[in-house]
Amino acid sequence: MLKKYKPFLRAGAIDTMAYRFNILIWAGITVCEVACLVFLWLAVYRSSEGGMDAAIHGFSYREMIAYVVLTTIFNFVTYNNDTVWNINTDIKKGTVGNYLIKPISYRGKFAATSLGNLLTMTLMFGIPFYTAALVTLGSLGFLPDLSFPTFFAHLGLFLLAGLCASLLNDTISYIFGVLCFYTSSGWGLNSLKVTLISFLSGTLLPLAFFPAGLREIVNRLPFAGMSQNPILILMMKYDLAQSIRCVALTAAWIVVLELFAKLLFSHAVRKVTVQGG
Amino acid sequence: MIEVNELSKVFRKPIRGNGLSGMVKTLFSRQYEEVRAVDGISFTVPDGEIVGYIGANGAGKSTTIKMMCGILTPSSGSVRIDGIEPYRKRRQVAQHIGVVFGQKTQLWWDIPLIESFKVLKEIYQVSDADYKERMDFLGEVLDVKRFLSQPVRTLSLGERMRADLAASMLHNPRILFLDEPTIGMDVLVKEKIRLAIHALNKSYGTTVILTTHDMTDIEDLCSRIILLEKGAILYDGPLSKLKNRFGNLKTLTLTVPAEIRAETAPLLSPEVALSEEDGRLILRFDADNVPLEQVIQYAFRDLRAMDMKLAEISIGDVVKTILAQQEATDGQAVAQ
Repeated sequence: MLKKYKPFLRAGAIDTMAYRFNILIWAGITVCEVACLVFLWLAVYRSSEGGMDAAIHGFSYREMIAYVVLTTIFNFVTYNNDTVWNINTDIKKGTVGNYLIKPISYRGKFAATSLGNLLTMTLMFGIPFYTAALVTLGSLGFLPDLSFPTFFAHLGLFLLAGLCASLLNDTISYIFGVLCFYTSSGWGLNSLKVTLISFLSGTLLPLAFFPAGLREIVNRLPFAGMSQNPILILMMKYDLAQSIRCVALTAAWIVVLELFAKLLFSHAVRKVTVQGG
Repeated sequence: MIEVNELSKVFRKPIRGNGLSGMVKTLFSRQYEEVRAVDGISFTVPDGEIVGYIGANGAGKSTTIKMMCGILTPSSGSVRIDGIEPYRKRRQVAQHIGVVFGQKTQLWWDIPLIESFKVLKEIYQVSDADYKERMDFLGEVLDVKRFLSQPVRTLSLGERMRADLAASMLHNPRILFLDEPTIGMDVLVKEKIRLAIHALNKSYGTTVILTTHDMTDIEDLCSRIILLEKGAILYDGPLSKLKNRFGNLKTLTLTVPAEIRAETAPLLSPEVALSEEDGRLILRFDADNVPLEQVIQYAFRDLRAMDMKLAEISIGDVVKTILAQQEATDGQAVAQ
């Protein structure tokens, strides 16, 4: 039955390549962003009480720079689907009907497209960027000893966590997309999603910087698995047991949110009033 | 087999105020008005039938079609396609139906047509042998082979519609819903589309539900008509019976010498209405009451006809008359 979704997987993979110029511009912007963040953190550490040797919330300045560089690459490679926008367009133009009359699930179509995206992005940008970053950061001593075989176990868990993060992101995007059935406009919802994720996933700031009570909560929310946890697994800040727990938590969230998305869609679809004609 | 039972669809529309103050008010308190697009209709379509689903704009045709193919969920009542409600088991029903909305394409805009077909082949899990057979059949009846390699956006409207029809038939659906498939088409394309629908119905026994405003489509294709007005069924039955609803009406147009005028010409009987249009005489009568032979004799003998044209009342005229009558009764009801 999964074979039905092959064309969408393929389309997702090909589409990503079709807009390669767009992606190259994004890659350029991302490099600038990383540079800004690195200098920002350097300034923070320099003016902190302990100076450059200080550890702020458990992060030395070396670790913090490695964290910033790796999260940026991670977000660039993992999150590039347009699920919210695509659902919004389907609703606005009434093309959602085209999928409702086909023997495929609307959810499955987007999941397949996103996986296709992830595949291309990982092959085209992920492998070279991660390799370059790990080699550079490692040789500068910004990463702990990348010794075999522990590192490989972490690398494997990181890849698994990355896949989970991408799936989870698509699930959340899909939920926000389906909410467009009620609002008929995706702009606000998409902004809300982006803000929520970048704040609660540790992209802006590692979650260690949150007040203790809030941190406890945020660590159990699905968002931590979307940026911070995969990177801390890769940087071996988490031991293997904790890494496995993190991946399991994300996987559990995917199941829960998928169930929720299913319920939400079956309610929302009754609201469909295909526009025009 | 399609069973539609007491089917209704009510849309809730927010009533928006006028102007800026109205808009601000709408922001805080919303009133809704209910629009009954489809109002308690029932009918059954057996396998292999071609049904013309007709009515004025906004009569509820498209809404019914959308409920029958599972896009919309009814407010009350039910639709069953081979015993299954399409809006509940969407995917299961989708495998066996094909849908074309004349207003919108379902093909992927930017990719060559053949690629769209290949995607559909995978979505519907059509086997290689079936796919080849279908493509040969559709290539022939719809003549799509010439533009298979073109992106859909470069196709003309007629080509695109044929492509859309071919796409909807690719998985050999048991039921085909066509919502205005001939809208905006020229006569040749219309002809091709009609032939294709005929061929499909003949070769595969496909049930076809067709909405259209083109009465030639109906006369060429449909044995049965369902006439819808304001969400309710006005007529459901064979085409021939609808035509004879006002009797076996015929019109005889005569070219006559200049001195024969409608006002002064001798009348045959009060049942033959005589009028004049562009210098020609027009006789309207019910051939069941007044024998045709008698009228023709009268035309030659008393009106000295030099040429004549006999026409049946068109299905379009019948529908127009029914809708006009309905409107008149509604008008009276409102006045009371």
